[in-house]
Amino acid sequence: MAALSCRFILQRGTRLFSLRTAAESHAHFVGCNRTLNTTTWFDEHLTEDNQEYMRKSMAEEYRKQTAEKLSPLKDEPWPRHEWTQGSRRVGLVAVKLGMAPIWTKTGERHVVTMLQVQDCHVIKYLSKEEYDGHTAALIVGGKNVSPFHRSENEMEIFRNAGVPPKQKVTTFKISDNALIKPGTPLYAAHFRPGQYVDVTAKSIGKGFQGVMKRWGFKGQPASHGQTKTHRRPGASGPGGDPAKVFKGKKMPGRMGNIYVTTYGLKIWRVNTKHNVLYVNGSVPGHRNCLLKVRDTILPTRSSTLLSPPFPTYFTEEEGDLDEDLYDDNLFFHTEPSLTLT
Amino acid sequence: MAACRRGLDTFLFPVRLLRTPNFQNERFLSTSLYRLASGNGSEPPKFTPPPKPVVIDKTQTSASLRKFLSPEFIPPRQRSDPFKFLIERKDMIRRRKVLNIPEFYVGSILAVTMADPNASGKTNRFVGICIQRGGKGLGATFILRNIIENQGVEICYELYSPRIQKIEVLKLEKRLDDNLTYLRDALPEYSTVDPDMKPVPFSPTGEVPVNTIKVKMRPKPWSKRWERPKFNIQGIRIDLYLSPEKMEHAQKWAQPWLEYDMLKEYDTTKLEEEIHSEVQKEMSK
Repeated sequence: MAALSCRFILQRGTRLFSLRTAAESHAHFVGCNRTLNTTTWFDEHLTEDNQEYMRKSMAEEYRKQTAEKLSPLKDEPWPRHEWTQGSRRVGLVAVKLGMAPIWTKTGERHVVTMLQVQDCHVIKYLSKEEYDGHTAALIVGGKNVSPFHRSENEMEIFRNAGVPPKQKVTTFKISDNALIKPGTPLYAAHFRPGQYVDVTAKSIGKGFQGVMKRWGFKGQPASHGQTKTHRRPGASGPGGDPAKVFKGKKMPGRMGNIYVTTYGLKIWRVNTKHNVLYVNGSVPGHRNCLLKVRDTILPTRSSTLLSPPFPTYFTEEEGDLDEDLYDDNLFFHTEPSLTLT
Repeated sequence: MAACRRGLDTFLFPVRLLRTPNFQNERFLSTSLYRLASGNGSEPPKFTPPPKPVVIDKTQTSASLRKFLSPEFIPPRQRSDPFKFLIERKDMIRRRKVLNIPEFYVGSILAVTMADPNASGKTNRFVGICIQRGGKGLGATFILRNIIENQGVEICYELYSPRIQKIEVLKLEKRLDDNLTYLRDALPEYSTVDPDMKPVPFSPTGEVPVNTIKVKMRPKPWSKRWERPKFNIQGIRIDLYLSPEKMEHAQKWAQPWLEYDMLKEYDTTKLEEEIHSEVQKEMSK
């Protein structure tokens, strides 16, 4: 593709510009064919002392930007609005830790996925006009990363928000009254036990797979005279009249590594100290992947969202939260063993 | 034990009679004198009850004093964040403060009392031999096996389930293997445990005794080919069931190079040390 465009420039150059420009574009054309690696390490031309200094100063700056700046309400807060039915709040960016069992007070066992909210900040507010003309949006990032391998353009958005660069940046559509000032930290207590969430993440890549694994086709028998036909797709459509294979026919191909959303997962428990969410069941993505958690859009589950922290949880307002918030019928490990009736 | 002591007493009694005639005479004298003296006094002697005998119940198992870390505390070798195991460990310690989970191994005989809404009295007590321990973290499990009415019964218990009310160790011992699932193919007498078994006393210090019993199997076919090197079973009298040629043939599946695979090495001694001290500290709080 790149080579093609280069050739186009070359042709146009020869036609439109002088010989000299043509020669330049020819050089460009040559550069396209070879992989030109212009990336450099940030510490390529630094002495070891300077590298050490850079790393330390960056760590210091991160601390200033995250740990010491926990009071967005104090410095010029943006106007806040009341929660109304149908308001859409911002979501969180979380890291998948892994799965664990939990037990209810009736002795039933459920599995939960533990999601940790690490350095999640609001980065930018996009008004209705700026976003798509229908809804406002907030850009949220999670998990701090090194600034040294980012381009200036990428860094600018973080610098405007006053937060360190993030590994994952996503957009959440919000209602107009749920806007938050950029730079505000978001915590796991944004969600409360008993409510339902949707989780979006990139699923685990499975590579190029056949129809049986990818689409659940039945395949063919293993024996009874089958010749070279065990896991094949079979016929791909009617012949004769349409005389074509319809678009979207399920076929072998790359499986996984796409964004998948699981809807309506219950939050069983929230650890406010370490910012861990215990979400019912499994969520897409491999462990340690970054995912997007938001209030569920399922109409049947929207009734569980009664007066949540709006627009988000601020530590100054509800500083006296317990370390662990549990769902009503969840067994605490500090209680005595169950006696069932 | 008690019967033995009684037998010893009957044997020793005549000997004692022979050896201490003088003392007995003295006692006779003294008692009579005492009685005479009391007869002279105005009021009868006050009854003093004999001292209460101190009964040392050796059947009660005491808490183990040896250094022991339950295997589910050691995180598996994977790329999960160690923080995940830390936060799970906190819950495990919380549960362990409420429920006493004793030290036990595969091969120990346990009794587990569990809340069961369908059982009479709402609890169910099962006695059996622990044939497998599995899982890490909060999801750790163990399997108890027993033969009840000529029917093999296995129950898989979750160690941290709130339905478990009591875990008793009736006999603390290890076996030659870390996994006794071959008892399913063994003669039933090897997995039969008396449900009313009394706890066998064990020493709280020192090494855990290893039961070096080798079991006899039912005739083939077995559920798995236990002779294969990947199971590495020590506790079967395999020579009774396989000819030397067959034994030789089973070695065809041996993978002797695996023990030299440095990528598969997972040394947990240091990790174990850290977690053990952490658990000790938290439990003593």
